[in-house]
Amino acid sequence: MSWALYLPYRVAHLHFIIVANMAISGYAAAYLVMTWHFPFGWALALGFVLGGIIGYIVALFIGDAPTFAVVIVGFTFIYIVRTVIENTEAVGGTMGMFGLPNIGGSPILHRWTMIAILYGLVLLVGFCIYRFDHSRLGRAASAIFVDPDLATSLGVDIKKLGILLQTFSCTLAGGCGVLYGFIFKSFHLDYFTFHMVGILMTVIFVGGYATLWGVVLAAPVLYGVPLLFPPQIASWRIVIYGVLLILVLVLKPEGFITPRFVYNMETFLSRRRKKRNTL
Amino acid sequence: MEVFIAQVINGLSLGSIYVLLVTGFNLLLLVAMIIHFAYPQVVVFSMYITWVVLRLTGNSLLLGALAAVASSIFFNMVSAPLFQKVMKKRGEVDINSTMVLSMGIGMIITDVLSHGFNKGFPIAFPDELSGKTAILRIGLISILPGQVSSLIVGIIAVSGFFLLLYKTRAGRAFRAIAEDPNGARLVGIPLFRTGLESYALSGLLGGIIALLLAALLGSASPDLGEQVAHKVLAVSIIAGLGNLAGGLVVGLLLGILEAIVQGYLSGSWSNAIAFVIMLVVILAKPKGLFGIKL
Amino acid sequence: MKKRAVVVGMEVLVLVLFVASFGFSQAKVVVNEWQVPFLNCLTGPIASIGGYLQWGADRAAFEMNQAGGIAGKPVKVIGVDTANDPQKGTVEMARIVKDSLVALGPVPEPVIMAAMPIAVENEMMSMTATTSYEYASKFFPWTVSWFPPYSTRLPPLVKAWAKEFSDIKQVVQFVENYGPWPGMAEAHVAGLKAANVKVLNNVEVPGDAVTFGPLIVKALDQKPDGIIFVCNAQKIAKIIKELKSRGWTKMNHLLVFSSGDDSSLYTIGGDDINGVQVYNYINPGVDNPRWNAFRAAFMKDHNGMAPFSLSPNYYDALYMVKEAIEKTGVTGDPKKLKEERKKIADYCASVKNFHGIQFDWDMKDGVPTNKPSYLFEIQGGKKVLIQEVRP
Repeated sequence: MSWALYLPYRVAHLHFIIVANMAISGYAAAYLVMTWHFPFGWALALGFVLGGIIGYIVALFIGDAPTFAVVIVGFTFIYIVRTVIENTEAVGGTMGMFGLPNIGGSPILHRWTMIAILYGLVLLVGFCIYRFDHSRLGRAASAIFVDPDLATSLGVDIKKLGILLQTFSCTLAGGCGVLYGFIFKSFHLDYFTFHMVGILMTVIFVGGYATLWGVVLAAPVLYGVPLLFPPQIASWRIVIYGVLLILVLVLKPEGFITPRFVYNMETFLSRRRKKRNTL
Repeated sequence: MEVFIAQVINGLSLGSIYVLLVTGFNLLLLVAMIIHFAYPQVVVFSMYITWVVLRLTGNSLLLGALAAVASSIFFNMVSAPLFQKVMKKRGEVDINSTMVLSMGIGMIITDVLSHGFNKGFPIAFPDELSGKTAILRIGLISILPGQVSSLIVGIIAVSGFFLLLYKTRAGRAFRAIAEDPNGARLVGIPLFRTGLESYALSGLLGGIIALLLAALLGSASPDLGEQVAHKVLAVSIIAGLGNLAGGLVVGLLLGILEAIVQGYLSGSWSNAIAFVIMLVVILAKPKGLFGIKL
Repeated sequence: MKKRAVVVGMEVLVLVLFVASFGFSQAKVVVNEWQVPFLNCLTGPIASIGGYLQWGADRAAFEMNQAGGIAGKPVKVIGVDTANDPQKGTVEMARIVKDSLVALGPVPEPVIMAAMPIAVENEMMSMTATTSYEYASKFFPWTVSWFPPYSTRLPPLVKAWAKEFSDIKQVVQFVENYGPWPGMAEAHVAGLKAANVKVLNNVEVPGDAVTFGPLIVKALDQKPDGIIFVCNAQKIAKIIKELKSRGWTKMNHLLVFSSGDDSSLYTIGGDDINGVQVYNYINPGVDNPRWNAFRAAFMKDHNGMAPFSLSPNYYDALYMVKEAIEKTGVTGDPKKLKEERKKIADYCASVKNFHGIQFDWDMKDGVPTNKPSYLFEIQGGKKVLIQEVRP
């Protein structure tokens, strides 16, 4: 999900609509599985597709909109989707949906299937983002982030790139929504709140918004380390996130993992490889 | 007809909350080029400080009011340098950085209020602050003192700050240092002192807003700031960033619209309908209905 | 050499962080003590409520240990914080199902929904003693419901209220769309109809409403004689205050539902809620030694505050666990974990004449069959019993 926020932010769009996408695709998939007995694979695929369609339609309007317009659209969608879901009895309304079946029929198979899908998705998406970042499109995105007018004058089509990134991000978010709910085997509106927006933002800004590795570092650390804290300190987790976010913005605006850091690591590793090969 | 008038009055009351908060939001934008998305949370924080002081002083309204203003000014003074640091270029509104920073501040405030004050439970202000008896009551139409004061102060605040910022020398100085600090220095405007005055001014307004909200609502909770923050932001953007008069009009209209929807349609859909309208306006006119005034 | 050390160090750090991201920890099984984990929201926005629930369970453990423990061994309630976060709830549940005999909680509903499937898969009972039947029943038989279904529990209560004030002819409900509350509002309708009271259109209360004038006007325009509140306590208090300022005088024609009966109602409502009726399942005015001791201890530990209405629930839940262990001969032997978990679950689902702190009740297939409910009037911040209602 942090990558889903990272991608549009490459063109300076804080695309919070991904949280709404999670909810829409997740609930849709759960409904299909529970009511129409769709196989999970089909429901997951549909979740991705639905996310992508919604992302594409919205992106046609806001692909090149100013950042604050994108933010407002995101917030608006979150509000609207929550209101629709809580008034729709077919998806459990305010009670939520629970008792989703195990994938594969047994808890153990369900767990391993989810782990396999999740890690597979991380590798696949990570690969795609890595290729994107090292491509012409990635450089174009960086140009737009730094100076949209200059990027336009160099021939970069901001709207097309914005549409591409927003659509991909929403597609990813849709699939994540399905997976999120099937991990818990339930869906509740409290899973998709503005709280999640805050956490995702913290992950990409603290980890580093300019490279995909920032998310890889920040997500497990920010989520996992508080689990080791004593409860009295862990209860202040959100305050710690907020303080960390502010400190990083003030002291290290690009986050901990910057492109320079990644470049240095890549250079270091390639030198080591060359040395090993020559030996 | 009676119901309609009653709902419009209710709408004006709700709208006055938005107007007050949007005015403070726009003021920070005009004097410091800061988009403070967590401005409502800061106001709620001041409300909590007021509550603490009221409890400690046996409901002394004067000390409570002073505490509201002082805490708001203090918070502004402390957070303003952070905003200045993260903004890439002075004189230009850096939305990404200031928005993310203010969201971080909002997260901290909401969580601190959830943990550290009244065990996270809502707080109640004394009845003397809000007044229990209606000034006017005809059938379903009812007007409380808190509603009147917040609406009147909202209008006065907008008018007053408009005059201050656009018609006085001091106001022009505030806007000058926000838009072009180097140019302002060249013409002899003392940056540091003027900057402090501008933050103090927005802090003063924040304190007044906190008091008026305490009078109007009679209570506060840790998530009150979040509940109104998105709408305040949307009102500001629909009206046009920095547009004081636009904020007044749109704030009141939104309040009336919400009241009408809650009164005649369904309460749980009132947010969705309001946001749909905002969405349409943003997509059709990104600079707002009344234009950006930066 | 130095570079290699740095790289190895980084690899170790990454490994540690990777492991930390799964919240690695192990619970030790102590055979000389019954350890009962309680998945609770000890931190986060409803930490205070979690604290009251934990207090109730700890109080029960204290009393049991004073009297010799459970089957001669001391008992300890281990608070496991879920921070009101479903993700954390699943992590903690996954950890405790490895070797715990039985658990208390989780709290509240989103965490129950996320974490209980894990308890069900591992066939471990987890007593969700503060949620409604409508949530708990999804996880039978590995939990029990502390409350009967709304359809049996609520109509008699509301009917009793309507009959008590027989000049109530038509009622409007303020309903907030949250969790099981709309279902409760529907159950109220059944009670009102049974009392021949006309049910007017509900007024939906938005979750983030800060002012209530439009909703009140909408309600009053229907000319109700009575109002039932099915929304958050803070909103209820504010609506009542505004109703009063608009001239509403018959305070006993206002009924607050059980979930609205928390400290926010009293803090914000103040004297304006005097005379308002409220229903709930615990009677603070009961006079029996156990309850008197519980109440005195609670007030001592909470600066004179009266016991929170849900605080005895996990007190009773732990006593039910004690009874189950003693009556079924559970030993706590890890080798018999699966079999003994089943014994506890089966016993609790069908317990007869369980001696709760305020009343005795039976369970049939995990559902209480004869629990009383109470109708109160609020006076000076306290609840005065009007009547006891049994289904």
